[in-house]
Amino acid sequence: MSLTLYLGCVIRAAHPEVEKAVKETLSRLSVSFEEPLEASCCAPSWFFSLSRQAWLRLNERNMRFFKNTVVTACDDCFASLSDAFRVLAGKKGFKPPEVRPFQALLLERLREVKPRLGFTGLRCAVQHSCHFLRPLGRGLDNPEDPRMVKSVLEALGFLPVAYEGELDCCGGLLSEEKVSGMMASRKAGSAEKAGADCIVTTCSHCMVRLRSVSRIPVLHLAQLSAFSLGSELGQIGFPESLARRTVKH
Amino acid sequence: MERLREKGAGNPLKCVQCGACTSACMVNLLEEGFNPRRIVGSIARFNRLPDQNPWVCSTCSLCTDRCPQGVDPFSIIMALRAVLYENGGNAPSRVLEMVEQVKETGFALPVSPESSSRRRLLRLPEARLSEEGLREVRRILSEEGFK
Repeated sequence: MSLTLYLGCVIRAAHPEVEKAVKETLSRLSVSFEEPLEASCCAPSWFFSLSRQAWLRLNERNMRFFKNTVVTACDDCFASLSDAFRVLAGKKGFKPPEVRPFQALLLERLREVKPRLGFTGLRCAVQHSCHFLRPLGRGLDNPEDPRMVKSVLEALGFLPVAYEGELDCCGGLLSEEKVSGMMASRKAGSAEKAGADCIVTTCSHCMVRLRSVSRIPVLHLAQLSAFSLGSELGQIGFPESLARRTVKH
Repeated sequence: MERLREKGAGNPLKCVQCGACTSACMVNLLEEGFNPRRIVGSIARFNRLPDQNPWVCSTCSLCTDRCPQGVDPFSIIMALRAVLYENGGNAPSRVLEMVEQVKETGFALPVSPESSSRRRLLRLPEARLSEEGLREVRRILSEEGFK
């Protein structure tokens, strides 16, 4: 079955290498997908909190372009679309599609396909994004002990490392720069102190925020999966310094 | 209170002021002036808009997960943003810039010329809505008060 791939604004506008990595990963795992190029911004929390009605109407419009189950590459998009569709599902005649985060699809496919892996061995500190885990009702992972992204990393041959403040918010969607910077620095510093080679996330806002303060590379999960499945480093923005630390099979 | 409810605020009247929300709040740890318990208290006990800036919330929703009463402080803080904005209060410039961008292009961030050329190199499709699609997005935003 073909899926609808929704990439969101941050990845499409500013991180084409992540978009490439997402598409490379899906293709290498034989997942067919279509892109709804006419879909707009999903108007996540910052927009939602100015106008709930604008948020709902923009996503009601987006829904027209989603023919199949929607896979999101950013957890903020995942939260915004799932929440909006839950509200819209109450309206007569609306049958919103299922929305799945990239990591859930990836875990399922890796277990089914069991691909041959090119590289293994990196120590990865996971930035579990708040909007994927909470509120509790999302039910995809345990917010108190999240396992999904770690399981994907393990299936890809990487080693998740625990670090202090692992479950804390990184401040990526906080408009007050001073506090946001403090939250992000604490996380990035703690991941580095724990001996991680890189920080891995599935939310584009966490990725941007942590990249601005981290001394170790901050990658989207798709960059690791595409790398491990054999994509070319330059195409997916995978740092050579990290590639040198891996074990080639 | 009614206006907050219309905008999706949870159940402020169920609050017993236990402070579980505030003790879970990461922002409060770094910025004591931001206090979810006091925000909900001001609304529930005095029916008054709190004098705290709801835009300092990081939107992590941990307050809602920790609340033993089902108050959903996160939804109250989000609704508070909307009410204050309607009352003429300023939203952060970063947020208003993103709204402008959605009006301009349909997306919250502009595709820079550098990013555009990288997209071509990587053989990615152009990130742009059709004129018709853009007109529709602008109409929705205009009807919802974003002139």
